[in-house]
Amino acid sequence: MMRGFSFGSYVPGTSPVHKLDARAKLLLGCAFIVITLNAHSFFALIPVALFVMGAYALARIPARKALRSLAPLMFIVVIASIMNLFVVQGGPVYFEWAFIRISEQGVLTCLLIACRLVLMMAGMSLVTLTTMTLDLTEAFERLLSPFARFGVPAHEIGMIMGIALRFMPQFATEFSSIREAQLARGAGLKTSPVRGVQMLSSLMTPLFTSVFRHAETLSAAMDARCYHGKEGRTRLHPLSFAPRDGVACALVAVLLACVIAVNILL
Amino acid sequence: MTGKPLPEESAENSAPTYAEAPIICVRDVSFTYDGEAFALSGASAQIERGEFVCILGGNGSGKSTLAKHLNALLVPDKGQVEVCGMDTSEREHTYAIRQSAGMVFQNPDDQLVASLVEDDVAFGPENLGVPTAELRKRVTQRLEDVGLSGFEKHETHALSGGQKQRVAIAGALAMNPEILILDEASAMLDPRGRKGLMRVVRSLNDQGMTVVMITHFMEEAALADRVIVLDEGQVARVGTPQEVLVDVDALSALNLEVPFAAELSQALRRADVPVAAAVTEEELAKSVFSLLGSHVEKACGDKGENAERRSARDEVASQGSPAEAAAVREDSTSCTKTSAPSTAPAGGDALIQLEGVSFTYDAAEARRQRKAGKKPAPKQAKWGNSPEALWALDNVTLKVRKGEFLGIAGHTGSGKSTLIQHMNGILHPTNGRVVAFGRDVAEKGAANDVRGRVGVVFQYPENQLFAATVAEDVAFGPRNLGLSEEEVSARVERSLRTVGLDPEEVAARSPFELSGGQQRRVAFAGVLAMEPEVLVLDEPAAGLDPKARKSFLDMVSHLHEEGLTVVMVSHNMDDLANLCDRVAVMSEGKLLMEGTPAKVFSRADELTAVGLATTSPEHFANLLREGGLAVPHEGLATEESIVSYLRGLL
Repeated sequence: MMRGFSFGSYVPGTSPVHKLDARAKLLLGCAFIVITLNAHSFFALIPVALFVMGAYALARIPARKALRSLAPLMFIVVIASIMNLFVVQGGPVYFEWAFIRISEQGVLTCLLIACRLVLMMAGMSLVTLTTMTLDLTEAFERLLSPFARFGVPAHEIGMIMGIALRFMPQFATEFSSIREAQLARGAGLKTSPVRGVQMLSSLMTPLFTSVFRHAETLSAAMDARCYHGKEGRTRLHPLSFAPRDGVACALVAVLLACVIAVNILL
Repeated sequence: MTGKPLPEESAENSAPTYAEAPIICVRDVSFTYDGEAFALSGASAQIERGEFVCILGGNGSGKSTLAKHLNALLVPDKGQVEVCGMDTSEREHTYAIRQSAGMVFQNPDDQLVASLVEDDVAFGPENLGVPTAELRKRVTQRLEDVGLSGFEKHETHALSGGQKQRVAIAGALAMNPEILILDEASAMLDPRGRKGLMRVVRSLNDQGMTVVMITHFMEEAALADRVIVLDEGQVARVGTPQEVLVDVDALSALNLEVPFAAELSQALRRADVPVAAAVTEEELAKSVFSLLGSHVEKACGDKGENAERRSARDEVASQGSPAEAAAVREDSTSCTKTSAPSTAPAGGDALIQLEGVSFTYDAAEARRQRKAGKKPAPKQAKWGNSPEALWALDNVTLKVRKGEFLGIAGHTGSGKSTLIQHMNGILHPTNGRVVAFGRDVAEKGAANDVRGRVGVVFQYPENQLFAATVAEDVAFGPRNLGLSEEEVSARVERSLRTVGLDPEEVAARSPFELSGGQQRRVAFAGVLAMEPEVLVLDEPAAGLDPKARKSFLDMVSHLHEEGLTVVMVSHNMDDLANLCDRVAVMSEGKLLMEGTPAKVFSRADELTAVGLATTSPEHFANLLREGGLAVPHEGLATEESIVSYLRGLL
């Protein structure tokens, strides 16, 4: 069982953040990423950090859940920041050995990138933590729908996303039970490259077989419930904009202003 | 998006005005998937409005294919299917038919579309274009119908199997169908989930819903109005359960078995006890009492007293007063103590020993609670355990002795699966320790050693097959043990023969070409090829039809007779009673009781209280006892003991 698997899984609630329209949240999430990418210094990241903390407090997401949902993505942060550590050069050199050189600029950039990535992920994960997957996919579909006339299959993309999210925890569970079964057959006792490949296929083949099996029944089950993928579907939770979506936009605009001001002034 | 509720309207328009006509009419239907083998060949059947019909048949008899024809998922190659007066082969009726005939599938895990319960229930009517206000009303109503009120915001993947199936039923009902089709919907559920499902289906049928249920559980078929038995794509028998299910010989020729009550009533009649042919134990008990009319009158005094005592006992069990609970606990420990010396004269005979083992999947949370001084509060969930329950195992002490056949019973979520994963060192206890073959499994390198000596066959083991050929797959385990190629191929051949497959015939084939039953045998051979000293089986017969189940269990029993130590997890109490030397019952992560089958299964009330049951013969004997008959308590009741007792009364 994989209890740790919780990136962005929905935390039920009734906070103002939960109640925001999913389309607004998705767009504001993207705006937030752009703003964070444009914060060029630690000072500029301060308003961003305050904004994120404020939003989490407003959404009443416990700090522990918030941190845990970020944990699986930390390796991206580590890799990206370490690359900067070696690549960016300038200022006094702290360490030099063969081709490796670490300088002051490198260390600063490394830390800045790490902070920026963490904040970006915290922002995006707040969107998924407070939005039900079906709303999210519906929002995605609606935002894409203007492009439908150019042949973008907006509805299908939305449905695929929704089903993928629905089956994610299921496949995590299935993967761990396959792993246990192969461990019970002695997998991983002796490792050599050849064995390693076989070990991998002993995990992946059953997993893919199960994916196809699920896909087959799921499509029958959707057919049996009259799914047609055409116009004329209604929704249990129709999306609708409310004044609070305007307030949220205003707040993000204020954040943008703060970051630009800090970038220019400092 | 104003929607065009076309499908639904057309359903209403074309709803039949002639109420006396059958709601489903299957005429001489043939169907083939691949153009060669016919899954259905000339099947005909009629189902009346408001009927509860069970369709029975062994694996490959065509029953699921027939079910898919009833809501236009499949269209006959030859013949005709009419549902509510509409021909399924006419495309304009497709959605109207699917709306009128709601369908629930076998696997609870892959028919739910949405992440949240309410969204899933709403999926069908959303597709039909039902307005939002009406959607909300239907979701609330239909969840209430299946006994899941208040589950609207629950996540579907965190529900138990039985709950998932009931959500699927609610989803079908939300389209306001006239027929509910269940395609082996109970096959993957535990007894508790099955009972809940059956209760829901029965109450829907009482309210007038036509129900078509595909199953191979005879106990479920016994409750139907009519049964249709399929064989090789044709209808082999049709009739009331009382007509069809009592024919032991005919059914076994169709890969089916009869319910215990039918078997017993036949045995009684053969022994010149003229009871009526019955398919449920309650019915048979009634028939026995009317036969023994005078005896019952004589025993009437006892009966009142007995019933009173029983209801008092039930009350205690349901209230679970602390004193009673303590008494029960004491009782179960004494049971352990008394049984221990009889079967294990020396302590050294224990191959695997669990000592005070507790386990949690969330160790961090457990530490936090311990630090905060909070006692983990075991929350009693109504249906199955909550996945949030902190302790998957709670202070379990259990021995697996050399040469024994140990059974483990318990409903889903009781900790059975977690328990067996401790036996070969895949999981390590949070508290307590596991000693296997004299070594603590937590020691360095011990777990690897144990994995070679304790073979575990998990649930649905065929899902782990991966190699290009059967031989390669079976060889995976022995190769991992580092054996020589000659030894590996010798073992592959030996283990394939043991599971009843011919190596020459199957070894070079892809495991994915084989039938489901054969795949399971291959997976089983894969574990046997490691030549374990202890074989641990998790629900080895789940999902197999009665005949395949019987031959699989015979094979396990044969392996045990040859000296293998076997641990088997099962939901089927009759199997456990027949096969095991000792039975351990798990509930809520705790070891509830342990002892010989006779001891464990004589405590029917306690078993019922945790969602399990006793064996069928013992249950029937208890029914007789409740009615005032003094059936002797000499060990566990068997078919023979009941027959000889009742014959003695006449």
